[in-house]
Amino acid sequence: MKFIRNHLAFIFPMMAILLGVEFFLVFDRTTNSYEKGLKEGYSMFVVTKKPFKVEEFKTLNKHISESLEIDKDRLASQISDGMSQSNAREILKELPYFYNLKLDGYLKSSALEGIKEDLMSSKDIKKVETFGNSYSDSYRLFTFIKFILNVFIIFMSLISLFLIIKQMEIWRYAHKERMQIMKVFGAPLMLRSGVLFRVALIDAIISSFLTSGAFLLLKYKLASDNHIEILTQKQNLLFQSSDFLILIVTSILIVLVSVSLVVFGNEE
Amino acid sequence: MSTMSTNFVINASNLTLSYSDEDIIKDASFSVKKGEFVFITGPSGSGKSTLLKSFYGQLKPKSGTVVVGGLDMSDITEGKLQELRTHLGIIFQDYKLINEWTVKKNAVLPLMIAGYSVDVQNTQAERLLKHVRLSEYKDRYPLELSGGEQQRVGVARALAKNPFLILADEPTGNLDEYSSNVIWELMENACQQLEATVLVVTHKIPSMFSHRYRHFIIEHKGVYEVH
Ligand SMILES: Nc1ncnc2c1ncn2[C@@H]1O[C@H](COP(=O)(O)OP(=O)(O)O)[C@@H](O)[C@H]1O
Ligand SMILES: [Mg+2]
Repeated sequence: MKFIRNHLAFIFPMMAILLGVEFFLVFDRTTNSYEKGLKEGYSMFVVTKKPFKVEEFKTLNKHISESLEIDKDRLASQISDGMSQSNAREILKELPYFYNLKLDGYLKSSALEGIKEDLMSSKDIKKVETFGNSYSDSYRLFTFIKFILNVFIIFMSLISLFLIIKQMEIWRYAHKERMQIMKVFGAPLMLRSGVLFRVALIDAIISSFLTSGAFLLLKYKLASDNHIEILTQKQNLLFQSSDFLILIVTSILIVLVSVSLVVFGNEE
Repeated sequence: MSTMSTNFVINASNLTLSYSDEDIIKDASFSVKKGEFVFITGPSGSGKSTLLKSFYGQLKPKSGTVVVGGLDMSDITEGKLQELRTHLGIIFQDYKLINEWTVKKNAVLPLMIAGYSVDVQNTQAERLLKHVRLSEYKDRYPLELSGGEQQRVGVARALAKNPFLILADEPTGNLDEYSSNVIWELMENACQQLEATVLVVTHKIPSMFSHRYRHFIIEHKGVYEVH
């Protein structure tokens, strides 16, 4: 019983850190795909005096990735309704050109203003509409959530690391006698503390498996059973096999750091 | 390091030892030659264990010097000390066995530390446990043995790597007469057959040894030769 409690006192905080890491990875992937959606859905509206090619826009600002001319024919046919052919042609020639511009990434509204300025510096561009407000609102909410989540993960990880080091201290105390005996017979520090590394490494690996298991369960069972559409649609974002590697490496690093802190910190 | 080191296994001059302000051993000078068997006695609390600690580097001299196996213990590096300790055989009154380990594993701890293969460890364990007459207990744990048997494991461990110097701190302090005699026999054998220098701290010199070996006594913080 005491044995199990001892190990859980290590495994739980370790899992808390690993869950934090995995949440970060999942959230990062989800926000990346959301960001992509925002980017793709966004376009800037530009009115020009003469026809523009996408290269010409690009020379004005390198963030512009695509331009789409808005078809004027329907507009023209409405205007020219009931006019003579030549009159209509005359008006049509006077009409400016309309473009939707796509950008190569998700930019802050101040960056959008910069692009607007760059475009307006050309005398052939009459008007630029960035739709900055609605765009930046969702961007701000988005970065805020990301920030809060990261702060929470870091905070939780620090507390967990503290608990892990506490548990290490307990283990070191439990093995103190053995480590002292080995020292008297000339065992180097690494050999003496080997038992701590071994116990901690085994628990770290158990924690990685449990955390991965929890996410796999979420991915394949809970998400579909409960018909959570967002989760089932983006199932591949939830847990990827490379995550397991990241978790294992993270947990081993935590073990190395915490055991070293405890062992080297207590050398008399 | 010095030319003396070929003759003396331990050489102390004006050695002063203390844990705090108060000196436990003061200005002691003495030496132990290679292959000798030496007793150190003294009242309880006189500093016998303290003196022994200075021989295996657990306590640095406050002043003066103590040279063990050619190494000055005052300014020995951690690495050199580790190396020296692998050539010592230390025996404690309370055995200091690792209770989670089998008798066999305990006996070959010095070989494990030296990095010998498990095969070598196993064959040496057989030899050592036969020597201390504990062959049939090799897979038991220390707490399943009597005090005398545990101390024989302690002796086996001390002999495991053919030490040049055996330091024993009241090895029979917790044992009855019969068990004590077995330990004394093993110690004498280590000196005579295995050619180790043996230094034993004890309350009372066993009658079978009286006057046969050199004897130091600790009194009023000094170390004096009785005979
Ligand atoms: N680690 C220590 N810290 C402080 N004082 C100690 C320590 N070990 C022993 N002493 C003191 O040093 C004196 C000698 O102790 P010790 O060498 O153990 O005596 P002995 O082995 O002769 O019985 C005693 O007064 C004891 O209280
Ligand atoms: Mg003592």
